[in-house]
Amino acid sequence: MPQQYPHMAVEIGKLKLKNPVMTASGTFGYGEEYAEYVDLNKLGAIVVKGLSLKPRLGNPPPRIIETTGGMLNAVGLQNIGVEEFIEEKLPFLRPYDVPVIANIYGETYEEYRKVARHLNDAKGVQALEINISCPNVKKGGLSFGADAKNAAAVTRRVREETDLPVIVKLTPNVTDIAAIAVAVEKAGADALSLINTLAGMSVDVKTKSACLKNITGGLSGPAIKPVALRMVWQVLQRVSLPVIGIGGILTANDALEFLILGAKAVQVGTANFINPHATMDIIAGLRHYLKLNKIKDINNIIGSFQEGGSSC
Amino acid sequence: MVKAISKQLKGVFIGEIRQNREVQQDHFLMKVVLPASFASPYPGQFVMIKVAGLNEPFLGRPISIYSFRRKKTFCTLELLFRVVGKGTEILAGLIEGSQVEIHGPLGGCFAIYPERENIIFIAGGIGAAPLSLLAEYLCREVCLPKSAMIFYLGAQTKTAVAGLDKLSKLCYRIHVCTDDGTLGEKALVTQVFQKDLKKYAPDKTVIYACGPRAMLKALHKLLSGTRYLCQVSLEERMACGTGACMGCAAAIRDKTGKVSYQRVCSEGPVFDIQQVIWDDK
Repeated sequence: MPQQYPHMAVEIGKLKLKNPVMTASGTFGYGEEYAEYVDLNKLGAIVVKGLSLKPRLGNPPPRIIETTGGMLNAVGLQNIGVEEFIEEKLPFLRPYDVPVIANIYGETYEEYRKVARHLNDAKGVQALEINISCPNVKKGGLSFGADAKNAAAVTRRVREETDLPVIVKLTPNVTDIAAIAVAVEKAGADALSLINTLAGMSVDVKTKSACLKNITGGLSGPAIKPVALRMVWQVLQRVSLPVIGIGGILTANDALEFLILGAKAVQVGTANFINPHATMDIIAGLRHYLKLNKIKDINNIIGSFQEGGSSC
Repeated sequence: MVKAISKQLKGVFIGEIRQNREVQQDHFLMKVVLPASFASPYPGQFVMIKVAGLNEPFLGRPISIYSFRRKKTFCTLELLFRVVGKGTEILAGLIEGSQVEIHGPLGGCFAIYPERENIIFIAGGIGAAPLSLLAEYLCREVCLPKSAMIFYLGAQTKTAVAGLDKLSKLCYRIHVCTDDGTLGEKALVTQVFQKDLKKYAPDKTVIYACGPRAMLKALHKLLSGTRYLCQVSLEERMACGTGACMGCAAAIRDKTGKVSYQRVCSEGPVFDIQQVIWDDK
């Protein structure tokens, strides 16, 4: 068969993707929710909704509120738990020709370990993505991702439990994200994904109370894209790990911004909510861009960023 | 390996506004023309709607389907909505010829019981919209006699009584009431219904309700301990409408007695009134 141009495949360590477009955790359910809209085989990878050791009820409503150029959510990591995921959801995904990345989190180191062990033994998971934005209950609820030492400790423990590629998803709610990235790299991560949502809040002027029952929530959507780009750029200067760019990607052009900076792949999140075909539109748009510019391989775009800033 | 997907993939439709009229203060009736490939909705279902090609407002808005007509080459969707915030304000301002993105029909639907003698509808304010589609469906598709359908329609005040003209054509009896007495009886809709309750034998009756949470809560109290079959349609903020964002949570007790947050968009929006936990807020 003749080689098809443009060449869209990318590699994140030993993880091989057909194209650099994945879904972001928590925005694509367990894949099933979008199987009627999207041919899942055409995705770079599917990152499923965050999994904990035990099922979690989540936060009381209201859980979401729209803000300018985005939305806040405080779903509270509601999920069915790792065992039910393996029993009930994974069999649906297995027949598809698409890498499944399980996003995991815990409230203690031990929970992270156990979730990783379960998924390592389950057939059909190609990589783990660690959510380190979760509060550490034994450390007074401070997020694991908030300091370099704890972030590295979580990474090391998950690393010990699995041979699967380990991607660490970084939180932007820190002073120096690159310092966390460096610590996580040393602790054995295979890749980084960033950014998770930015902590935010919204006030209802009529009731003079917070719009979310949880008061604060995570901001996502195009409003956060400039912050995400800045952080990806900063992290890329300090680590040599492959980076997956996340934050407000709605279009192929948005994805290109991250790829040009040097991200090997991107995750599309909130865009799925407003357009269930968003991932397909972005893949088509990337292909179109490459053809138009006579670029044979998407890897030629990755990291093509010109330092020095624009003169216009 | 799942190589090809046999059935056609679902998507978002571009609709054109044929009419968008303020039928009464803050209430708009929007008629949207859609391609024939748009699936016929079942009563209780909704669509996510947003201005085509614009990211402001960012999220679509979930609006229940008020009426639907299928023609050979196109179909017409009618939405009756109340302006409550930024999203509905922008939708209200759209003129004829504007394009909207319509995603749907979404969600579950009301279960129907055509053999029951009394089909009761209880609506509060804009809650009349999804119940109108149900009444229309029962009339047209199930050919139920008008005499079986009784509608209780309440609102705070006269200007908030929505959809009365259409309902008068569909239902045999309509009880209208307002909190301030500006239209119909001065009473709460649940009080008006309560007076008639003993006329309806539980095993020969089905009740459909939609309205503000306080109204549904009062109805739940009224029916608790009885054998009435009652389905309610809930409202909640949504981001996706397809079950992915987990934003539209409602506390629901399942058959085993376990309480969990279910998604109004996917497991709902129609729930059995007895399954909803009414004291969570």
